[in-house]
Amino acid sequence: MAFNKESNGFTFGFAIALVVVVGAALAILATSLRGTIAKNGEDKKRLDILSAFIDLDQEKINRKNAEAEFSKRVDMTQSLVIDAEGNVVEGKDPFEVDIKKEYKDKNLDPSKRSFPLFVAEKDGEKVYVIPVVGKGLWGPIWGNVCIAADKRTITGASFGHKGETPGLGAEITQKYFINGWIDKKISDDSGNPITFKIVKDGTGKGDAVKVDGISGGTITSKGVEEMINRCMQPYVKYFSTLN
Amino acid sequence: MSETVEKVKAPGEPLFSKKNRKLITDPLTDNNPVTVQVLGICSALAITVQVNQAIVMGLSVIFVTMMGNVVISMLRNIIPSRIRIIVQLVIVAALVIIVDQILAAFLPDLSEKLSVFVGLIITNCIIMGRLEAFAMGNKPWPSLLDGFGNGLGYAGLLFIVAVVRELLGSGSLFGFKIFGDSIEKTGLYSVGYVNNNLLVLPPMALIIVGIIIWVQRSRNKALIEDH
Amino acid sequence: MQETLSIFVKAIFSENMIFAYFLGMCSYLAVSKTVKTAVGLGAAVIFVLTVTVPVNYLLENYLLKPGALSWMGEEYAQYDLSFLSFIMFIAVVASIVQLVEMLVEKFAPALYGALGIFLPLIAVNCSILGGALFMQERQYSTILDATAFAFGSGIGWFIAIVAIAAIREKIRYSHVPAPLRGLGITFILTGLMGVAFMSFGGINYGEGKEKSDKKDKTSEVHSTPSKTQTSQIEVTNQ
Repeated sequence: MAFNKESNGFTFGFAIALVVVVGAALAILATSLRGTIAKNGEDKKRLDILSAFIDLDQEKINRKNAEAEFSKRVDMTQSLVIDAEGNVVEGKDPFEVDIKKEYKDKNLDPSKRSFPLFVAEKDGEKVYVIPVVGKGLWGPIWGNVCIAADKRTITGASFGHKGETPGLGAEITQKYFINGWIDKKISDDSGNPITFKIVKDGTGKGDAVKVDGISGGTITSKGVEEMINRCMQPYVKYFSTLN
Repeated sequence: MSETVEKVKAPGEPLFSKKNRKLITDPLTDNNPVTVQVLGICSALAITVQVNQAIVMGLSVIFVTMMGNVVISMLRNIIPSRIRIIVQLVIVAALVIIVDQILAAFLPDLSEKLSVFVGLIITNCIIMGRLEAFAMGNKPWPSLLDGFGNGLGYAGLLFIVAVVRELLGSGSLFGFKIFGDSIEKTGLYSVGYVNNNLLVLPPMALIIVGIIIWVQRSRNKALIEDH
Repeated sequence: MQETLSIFVKAIFSENMIFAYFLGMCSYLAVSKTVKTAVGLGAAVIFVLTVTVPVNYLLENYLLKPGALSWMGEEYAQYDLSFLSFIMFIAVVASIVQLVEMLVEKFAPALYGALGIFLPLIAVNCSILGGALFMQERQYSTILDATAFAFGSGIGWFIAIVAIAAIREKIRYSHVPAPLRGLGITFILTGLMGVAFMSFGGINYGEGKEKSDKKDKTSEVHSTPSKTQTSQIEVTNQ
């Protein structure tokens, strides 16, 4: 070889060339895929919201038609953002509000948090969808809760989790757990929020406060309980101003 | 990475000569990167709960070992030896970023589940180990085969572990319920069968690998260690 | 403060790098034949994790995260360099390991004698990069939290490797079936230890007992104050 590959000059040159080539290649790739990745995130959010009040499998809604179905079923002009006291915040796009960030950002004063409320239509009836976030045993859990037009009754929900124990905590995504929440009311007759309680003895059915938990998934169930109790507060306040 | 560089002389021999074939088949059994070379257990066992996660992870690792081996092998004569390790790391990291971005764009649901474990392919010892032990001293084609073989040996093991864990732990394969519905009590569950929830817990992956090693070594006595 | 402490304790036990995530298994298996070397490597991991994670935290928050560049001016706020994070993290880890090695050799030769040979091994130890990636994924809100997590993870790793080394020293005198000897039995032992460590998962880290004036903190909490002490470890449940 005509050059000395161990010389300082070549070593530097090689390092710089490598960084430039690799950096350029990655930048091109990242820019060209950014749109797709961002859309994936949005579609996921749309699917999550939709899954609160309709069965995605039954209606054949997937990532491909998420955007169209979402705009058909969710009325973004009526959807709004409220603050911790239940007052409407003007000028904010509810879809842009990341509820997870609102709760996690410690620099944000809790009273200044904003909460999105989506207004959708199910079988011709107006329903509200409320996104919730919380913490399970191993990591974050989240979900969307659908409230009926009476602004009190839970008519549907969907939950997700990052890494709960399969077969135990991960069962929160299953129908039988979600069914335990359906027909519960988030506020009592005088408009005060109801604090739900997960029970293990299976007495949740028909009870106003008790909700059946998952056997073996106690901590994750408790996480859902805490998540719903906390996240519903501003919305109950908002709903009581409507009546 | 303390292995000595394995030299493969390949002037003028056919692309799939016996020697080259061995590069692929060896890592599958007697020189399996996980059970024999003890490389690359790190990132992978946590994702063997479901078969499709394991397959995607396996494919990603195959891609990265292959491409990494080829690139390093092509550059092997001009990489200054002083910055060799960091050059290897940079190239592997770049490849992993490519994999990560492609997964995020086209398989978003799986990418979310794999989360940080895709990034951890970078420090998967198989990759650095093969780069250092093989690609630095061999031509691109044998390096490609070596990368493919080792990646496959790794992916194969992941696949076996994942099949055992998903089948016995969740009663399904690729997400399809094999034994019936455990909640509705149909199929096998109607006669009292229950899933072994232990198997979905991460530590069981290690025990399964231990058992695989046991089986393998009792069939091939040459691999037995004397403590 | 309490939250930081709970991140720290969690990182040691319920989110143990080895037993919950299998990170750093390569060196864990290779260097756990005797307790003495295990202690050396474990100490080096604690050290390197505690140094690299905060550095990567700063990098993540002031360079890589979407909008992280806003300190340079409004017009930079839209840049998102997060696709570079893997490469940046590993570069930081590799260079800090190198730097630490040189500094230790110069200023603390005794320590270098003890840790020296392990430091180069650490650049490719998954637990170090894993620490950085978990830090990124979990988005710790302060650098103190991130450091507490890193230090805790390091200690967790240290405990794991020293424990397995001690067991391996003893097991040499046991009649392990020949094909299981060495690697096989180590895997199975690690698995069993992992099962044991899972029981730490049910611990209530006391996050529910925030003072009432800090109502917002309950946002991150999953436990209820009504839980009694005895029910706090629900080993059998999860």
